[in-house]
Amino acid sequence: MILNILIGIGIAFFGFVLQTSIAGINRKIVGRLQKRHGPRWYQEFIDIFKLLSKRSITHGWIFDFGVIMALGGIIATAMFMPLTNNFLAFENFDNFFIFVYLIAVGMLGMAMSASGSGNPWASIGVMRALTTMLAYEVPFLIVVLTIINLTGNSSLTEIMLYQQASGNNWFLIALPIGGLVGFIALMGMLGKKPFETYVAPAEIASGPMVEYGGKQLGMLFIMNEISAFIEVSLFVHLFLGGATNIFEFLIKYFVVYTLANLISSVNGRFKIDQVVKFFYKWPLIMAVTQAVIAIYFGWVI
Amino acid sequence: MASVELLILFLVGAGVIAYILTRFNTFLGSIFTIFAVMFVFVSLAGYGFGMNMDTTVNILPGISFTETYLGFYFAIIIVFVYLMVSFFHPYYLSEYKYKNSYNLLFLLSLAGILGAFYTDNFLNLFFFFELIIWTTMFLIPQGKSKEAAVSYFGFSIAGSVAMLIGIFITYNVSGTFSIYQGLAALSGTNAIFVFVLFIIAAFAKLGSFPLHIWLPIAHGNAPHPFSPVLSGALVKLGAFIGVLALIRIAPATGLFTAMDLPIGQYVVAILGSMSIVFGTLMAIKEDDAKKLLAYSSMSHGGYILVAFSILNGIAFAGGFYHILAHALASAGAFMAIAAVARATGTTKMKELGGMIHKMPITYLAYLIAIISMAGIPPMGGFISKWLIFQAVIDKGMIFVGIAVFFGSVGSFLYVFRPLAALFLGQELTEYKKVKEAPLLMLIPTFILMGLNVYTGVFPGGILKFINNIIVELGYTGIEVSTYEINGTNGILNPALIGLIFAVGSGIAFLIFIVLKKSRKVELMDTYTAANFVHDEHLLHYAVDFYAPLERLYEKQSNWMTKFYTALAEKVRELGKLGKYLFMSKNISTTVFWIVAIIIFLLWGEVL
Repeated sequence: MILNILIGIGIAFFGFVLQTSIAGINRKIVGRLQKRHGPRWYQEFIDIFKLLSKRSITHGWIFDFGVIMALGGIIATAMFMPLTNNFLAFENFDNFFIFVYLIAVGMLGMAMSASGSGNPWASIGVMRALTTMLAYEVPFLIVVLTIINLTGNSSLTEIMLYQQASGNNWFLIALPIGGLVGFIALMGMLGKKPFETYVAPAEIASGPMVEYGGKQLGMLFIMNEISAFIEVSLFVHLFLGGATNIFEFLIKYFVVYTLANLISSVNGRFKIDQVVKFFYKWPLIMAVTQAVIAIYFGWVI
Repeated sequence: MASVELLILFLVGAGVIAYILTRFNTFLGSIFTIFAVMFVFVSLAGYGFGMNMDTTVNILPGISFTETYLGFYFAIIIVFVYLMVSFFHPYYLSEYKYKNSYNLLFLLSLAGILGAFYTDNFLNLFFFFELIIWTTMFLIPQGKSKEAAVSYFGFSIAGSVAMLIGIFITYNVSGTFSIYQGLAALSGTNAIFVFVLFIIAAFAKLGSFPLHIWLPIAHGNAPHPFSPVLSGALVKLGAFIGVLALIRIAPATGLFTAMDLPIGQYVVAILGSMSIVFGTLMAIKEDDAKKLLAYSSMSHGGYILVAFSILNGIAFAGGFYHILAHALASAGAFMAIAAVARATGTTKMKELGGMIHKMPITYLAYLIAIISMAGIPPMGGFISKWLIFQAVIDKGMIFVGIAVFFGSVGSFLYVFRPLAALFLGQELTEYKKVKEAPLLMLIPTFILMGLNVYTGVFPGGILKFINNIIVELGYTGIEVSTYEINGTNGILNPALIGLIFAVGSGIAFLIFIVLKKSRKVELMDTYTAANFVHDEHLLHYAVDFYAPLERLYEKQSNWMTKFYTALAEKVRELGKLGKYLFMSKNISTTVFWIVAIIIFLLWGEVL
């Protein structure tokens, strides 16, 4: 049990390093896209460690407690994440719903801490973050409902193995409409443009983050990186057939995250009600269509 | 051995004593009430789990009892909620106009609860239901408004009448008032009739769409210590009738082959889904914290209906566990709000802010309750929602799926609203002198916090008991060991999740504690884009929290209210017509109609 927990902590740490590096590389890629040099690839690490070393302010115990709960919840979620189909900390317990709901503890912690700062920008940012969540989560979960119904198992490892079995395709190909919905929802989860409304630095002063500095902000940065790791890994495992070895995982991970980032860098930002309207129109219709043809008609490529 | 009959008689007697005691000293009478309820709870818990209650009846005429796992499960949950709430009585009762009768009615309604869940006779069931309705009807108007009681009573009576007609049809077919023999004897068209009638009763009691309109009115205006009882305990009566209808009657309607589900059950599942969506949307919009929680009860009632309409063991386990989890969570949340209301005198979120600085324990109680309510691990609500999701996904119910997922994510939104607006945010000047709730009120708060966590971390024992109910209903139970739950498509280990969450938080805490200590600053000392803001109220974001989202369904949100207003208007007009026809000033017309009606009624019988 101790060993499993240590492996879990290792996975969470690996996720942090991986996502922070890839985010750094992506800053360079986006820089090239915009005809500038962009920062060095390890700039994100420098930012985080600088923040952690600084002395900061606090707005009371809930402000700190929320940050701890946020990072703790996200680390706990990451500890359940399988990397490949035989490398995970807790075998059989990588249930899909753990990721969706345990990650919510982290989000709740952050929202609580931000509201506890007493800054209205922060509350507005939290309101927008929750509204965005209401928007992308439902179409995404309908697609996952289809996947679990087809595979008959909600364990991520089992879903990976199902896709890798001969005769079956990746779900991105087997359920093309659903795969597209999954990717759009992933953009929403990662807070990439056009769904970046809840951070919106120029509009609501970075929303939930407005009051933070020093170690609290550094911890929220770490939390943000690990949650991006969880979300992208979920997409890789659910739609891209998972990975049989770590290199396959790294390649798939890099492609998915970079693609999301590239799309993000050429888009504007939706207003918050546009986000909701958007998700409850096309992605939801597509998700339901996919579910109906896959479950009731059994048409799976 | 504890006898059900004696417990009921004890409660009636205790009610009378409580009445007299409260008359002289409110505090004393309320303490007596706590002990009376505690006695009943201990007797039930001591003998009921092993099915060792004495069900013989010696004194009460025409009443008979039997012991079932189903009835006991409901009874113990509701008695527990009553017990928790009774701790609040000493601090609230003195404000009420008819405080003497408050404890009496409270104990009498508990007697009704015991009777209703232990009886094996339909007429007894109806009698005890009416006892509950009539006693609670006089409790509700002691709060803010008398109309709330009228609304509650109207819908409850509609439900009861529907149930009574169902009972008569059953009697007509089977010739017996016995619940189990009667329901087993139903078949064909009669079964469908009784099913529909019982479902109406269940919807009215549970406050489900489209019979939900009374729920926010009654919950929002009831006395503060009574709202938790309404939401945590009394609406569960509807779930009980729902179980009778959906599982015991289960009429042989056509089958949806895609989902392997009878049409009747599927319609109920869809109505339950609408309840979930409607309740969630209205809760997001609501400004009064108690009404918000009332709408959330409506949405959770929808989950319970969805669970019981999917006919398999996993779904039933989810439904029964959800009844427990929601009772604990909603009692916890309502009691936290009640404590705030006692300290500040309001439940309107736009008037409150920053209560966390003065009432940290109440805040924690609310936090843990809403984590459970939103179905986030490691709390009880997660287990039940996980089980229900399993069942929904396994059956491939897409449209019900949309509703349950929407309700689940939407619940983050509405439960967060009181957290942000009422407990967090700026500390408003008018509440600087508020104090934490007194010790006696904190006892149930701590117990509920503990149980919310316990049900989420170690559900094994409770699920094993629920398996008894499922077997009793004629289905196979779910596989559950001490730590693991086996669903149709996955295994869950709640204790492991709890442990890992503790490990994660531990790591985060270590990171936090080894780094440099932060400097404490005032709440008003925030980034305001260089504006000088001098007033806390201006920096507190609480009014219309989800304004952009609310705008999207603003026009549609009062459809049901409009419908019921129109219906009330039509009923009133009909009454006017009747008055005009039969009650005219001309006495001979009235006499003529009376004679005509008597002749009509007697036609064929006597004449």
